[in-house]
Amino acid sequence: MNEIKLLIVDDEEEFATALAERLEIRGFMPETAFYGLDGVQTTATFSPDVVLLDLKMPDMSGIEVLEQIKEKHPAVEVIMLTGHGTGKGGADFIERGAFGFIMKPVNFNELLEKIDAAYQKKISGSQAS
Amino acid sequence: MSTLQEKLSKFSIFALYGVTKDKSSMRFRAMLYCFMVLIVYIPLIFTTIASSVEYGNLLLQEEQDQLYTNAQGAKKILEIFMEELTSSVIFVSEEYSYEDLLDQSTASTLLVRLKKLYGGIVDLGVIDNNGIQKIYAGPFRLNEYDYSDQEWYNKVLVRRVHISEMFMGFRRLPHFVISVSHKLPGRDQYWVLRISIDGKTLEKYIATITTHTFNDIFLINHSGILQTDSDICGNVLEKCPLFVRPAKNKITVGEIEHHDIKYLKATVYIEGTPWILGLFKESYMHGEQYASFCFRLKVFFIISAALALVIIVLFVNLFANHLQKIDKEREIAMREAEHTGKLASIGRLAAGVAHEINNPLAIIDQKAGLMTDLIDFSEDFKYKDKFSTSIEGILDAVERCKVITHRLLGFARRMDVAFEHINVNDLLREVLGFLEKEALYSHINLELSLADDLPTIFSDRGQLQQIFLNIVNNGIDAIGEDGDIVLITSQRDEETIEVQIQDSGPGIPPELITRIFDPFFTTKEAGKGTGLGLSITYGLIKKLDGNISVQSEVGKGTTFTVSLPINKTREGGFT
Repeated sequence: MNEIKLLIVDDEEEFATALAERLEIRGFMPETAFYGLDGVQTTATFSPDVVLLDLKMPDMSGIEVLEQIKEKHPAVEVIMLTGHGTGKGGADFIERGAFGFIMKPVNFNELLEKIDAAYQKKISGSQAS
Repeated sequence: MSTLQEKLSKFSIFALYGVTKDKSSMRFRAMLYCFMVLIVYIPLIFTTIASSVEYGNLLLQEEQDQLYTNAQGAKKILEIFMEELTSSVIFVSEEYSYEDLLDQSTASTLLVRLKKLYGGIVDLGVIDNNGIQKIYAGPFRLNEYDYSDQEWYNKVLVRRVHISEMFMGFRRLPHFVISVSHKLPGRDQYWVLRISIDGKTLEKYIATITTHTFNDIFLINHSGILQTDSDICGNVLEKCPLFVRPAKNKITVGEIEHHDIKYLKATVYIEGTPWILGLFKESYMHGEQYASFCFRLKVFFIISAALALVIIVLFVNLFANHLQKIDKEREIAMREAEHTGKLASIGRLAAGVAHEINNPLAIIDQKAGLMTDLIDFSEDFKYKDKFSTSIEGILDAVERCKVITHRLLGFARRMDVAFEHINVNDLLREVLGFLEKEALYSHINLELSLADDLPTIFSDRGQLQQIFLNIVNNGIDAIGEDGDIVLITSQRDEETIEVQIQDSGPGIPPELITRIFDPFFTTKEAGKGTGLGLSITYGLIKKLDGNISVQSEVGKGTTFTVSLPINKTREGGFT
């Protein structure tokens, strides 16, 4: 399971790199992107299994990035990371194709579980198709 | 004013209930009292005075009319009497010739016959052309008396028939004379028939006219000398001090004061005589009727004034208390609105702050997490344990901050409320299900006292859960160890249900009770409470159009009462 390829898209570099390092220690294959556009491009080149996507970035909003990723790579699962209110209980993220969301600061164990769940979903989805 | 106010407030039934009256309300009451007293008493006093004056005028008019009628009657009676008397004398003087009358026995017989007709006739005399009384029939010795210089004698020669004023004459007794003159046949000289009438006769006759409707009746001559005795003016032949000439051919009615008594008087000339008739009547002011009216008017005034005072006191109290109540309600409403506004703005501010803090917090969290990971995967080194515990401390602190920021965000979150029909009894059972373990550890007994027929309400399940979780949690925290929490449901009215949450905790001191719904207000020790639980609860309840109130007694416990609408009443909420 630790072959999971992760892309972390967050404008907070310190956060993104620390999180990537921790995930790497646990055997994941993480990659980071610090801008929305960079996130979309890296998704194409790196083809991650799961994307951890910040909601608020200077160039694009997380929602826009989500929409573009899901449009081009519908198989990639996206988990939203939000630093503020979850809007309509996160319902609009799910509507736009996100797997789920986690509030910052993240509970690390919860995050690991969510990543696993997303990965399982992706695998079952690709097997089915 | 203040003493009057104090006195008045003693009558106040509301004072018995100890209605609190601050200074401005007292001033308002005093003003209201003054105003009401003026409004009520000025017309009352005016009406009373006007009634008394009007009634007086009415009585005066009535008495004047009555006196007028009396005077008219008396005048007529006297005129008829005097006319008859005069006619009799004229008749005798024409029936008998001068020569016939010069016979003493004829004169005496005539006197007897006349006396039978008119009791008051005293004597009869025949006077020759020189004024000497030739024949006299009567009780005095007046033969050969010379009347030529007497006033009445000279007048009768001119007028033929004359009625004299009352006078003493030779006999020294008050009397008056009716005399008739006739020409001696073939000569330009006159003889005179004279009949004198006792003054008492006139008085007796007048006495028969007297009724209870007036006090005094008398005759007076044109110069104000009394012709009969008068109770008020004096005795016969005395000067009347109250004499005023009446108008010609008219009954004159007027008012007069004599020895501090007011009189109504009527005066009128008696035609064919030298007399004026006078009628006196005491003014109505001295009468019983007026006195009784005045007494009744006073009683009426006192009763009305007392009644008005009672009504004023009742009205002022009712009015002032009502205003006070409205004022208080308005104040509460304003405070509530202010509170809600405060919550909303604090909510927005808090959300902004929470978001800004969340990002650096997330960095600290991940960096510290990474450090833990690295330490865990490293071999032992010096201070490894100390590093581990320090980083744990950092992570604990981050966790605490996270709780706060997440709550703040939750507080400010504008959520779409999902309304559905909810059985509050079931919802409370669920909520207690979450808390059972925690309560068990703290030896807190959770009890439910639920109304069986509680209607379902149209509300938001998640938010209701949050509300009751917060309140019950608050109760558990308040009790600490060993105690009871009781949840009671009931239907308050057709539109509202009520949930009471009673805890046996230490209670809230009165000075803090108004602040418990304020954001960031907490009595818990630093780090244990955010001071947001109850203010979030308050905000959620308001959003659901409900209400929350709290009663607490130090040492006994606290009861929160949440009322919720059965049907959704409006789109509510704030961010």
